[in-house]
Amino acid sequence: MKLLKLAGIAASAIAVMASSVTAQADQLDEVIKRGTLNCGVVLDFPPMGYFDKDNKPAGFDVDYCNDLAAALGVKSNVLNLTWGDRIPSLVSGKTDVVIGSTSDTLERAKSVGFTYPYFVFKFQTISKKGTPINSFADLKNVKVGAALGTTYETEYLAYAEKMGWGKDNYTAFKSENDAYLGLYQGKVDAIISTNTNIATKLQTKEFADYVAGPYVPNYDDVVGLIAKRSEVAWINYLNLFLIHQIRDGNMNKHYNKHFGSDAPADLIQSLRDNK
Amino acid sequence: MDYEFHWNIVFQKMPELLQGAFVTLHVSVLSMVLGIAIAVFLAIAKMNNTKPFNYVAVGWIEIARNTPALFQIYMAYFGLGAFGIHLSPYMAVLSALVFINAGYLAETFRGGFQSIPDAQYNASKSLGMTSFQTYRYIILPQMFRRIYHPMTNQFVWSILMSSLGILVGMSELSGETQRLQSLSFRTLEFFIVTAVLYYIITKFVLICASLLSKRLFKGEI
Repeated sequence: MKLLKLAGIAASAIAVMASSVTAQADQLDEVIKRGTLNCGVVLDFPPMGYFDKDNKPAGFDVDYCNDLAAALGVKSNVLNLTWGDRIPSLVSGKTDVVIGSTSDTLERAKSVGFTYPYFVFKFQTISKKGTPINSFADLKNVKVGAALGTTYETEYLAYAEKMGWGKDNYTAFKSENDAYLGLYQGKVDAIISTNTNIATKLQTKEFADYVAGPYVPNYDDVVGLIAKRSEVAWINYLNLFLIHQIRDGNMNKHYNKHFGSDAPADLIQSLRDNK
Repeated sequence: MDYEFHWNIVFQKMPELLQGAFVTLHVSVLSMVLGIAIAVFLAIAKMNNTKPFNYVAVGWIEIARNTPALFQIYMAYFGLGAFGIHLSPYMAVLSALVFINAGYLAETFRGGFQSIPDAQYNASKSLGMTSFQTYRYIILPQMFRRIYHPMTNQFVWSILMSSLGILVGMSELSGETQRLQSLSFRTLEFFIVTAVLYYIITKFVLICASLLSKRLFKGEI
């Protein structure tokens, strides 16, 4: 009887230990155990994320997903997200990390865990040649659009409010592609997007008649990877991964592939400084 | 679930959410009023054998009932845009909802019309009433009483489907929610509050409709 009791205590002790061990398993363990990295990317944002001619995910962010999976020794599973899906996909556990050009505002950092910056964008206008936009203040007289839920939308609306323009001249579009479609159809005279996306679009024949315009004043869009805020060890790993991307030359390699030149020295330096 | 809810940010943004809710209410009420008016004519035209009217009515009803609302809103905005006709997001959603409401309600109304015995048409004719008078005083009041419940269903549907306005960047309740949540990434909180707001709008509309019906139909529902 005594023996039985002892065995019972031992068994429950093991059970408690086992359960405490599983409770400590974090996202990093989970990804390694699962053997697959679920990586969210916004695939209508070339050249960071898009579908190539074989309809496969491609782009700078997708290359980062694949590098991260390779570093972890697991398979890479790229999931296509819209801008608005990024956080729900993390909260619901559909993605382990979102590599999706997410601007690292302090407001957002209350909700989601950010890594060090991995890229810096400039926001810019694109419009048809001959549209009278010489400075950002000229947007007062034209119809402006942007993709819903992006930082450039927020920046434009804040600027418009500061200048007292109101929202009447502004149109939101559900996605980046729809914003370009709206510009192409003439629903708006100019849209605001990132310099990288605009440069890619200007090379297509649809937008041969269009030009890149002024930058959003005094604003660098610094973006990081995002993961669940509570997964500190996982975010730690991601930070080290980003450092290695620069140190090992992968960042420059992908930049070259997608932008056709070496990464600018000031971009590399600001990423090295984590600014 | 390891998720901490932060509600304060949602309450800070409540005025903007309510503004969106007002647009939702506005567009769905208007789409319903216009939809009902058009549906009466479509239903009569479908029952009538006068060729061009009959064709238009059948075509309208078939397309409205058998294609997704999402497609129609997208066509009203980007489809017409390709031909140089630029509706504002509000007008695009309004016209798509009117189109769908009219199509669905026309079939409901036709059922209502056909449930009224032919004898009544003949009786009013023999009393010397014109066709307009027959519909105005005899047929329509009875028809609306009979199809009152399916009509309120369609109303609820319009309120909920106006959320597809987000597709074309309309600042209705869902669009505002999407914009506001992207500032703070408090997605779940905003979506939950928005769902509650939709519930309140729907209930509010149903209560108003039921009060109106009691007045119009004197309790015979």
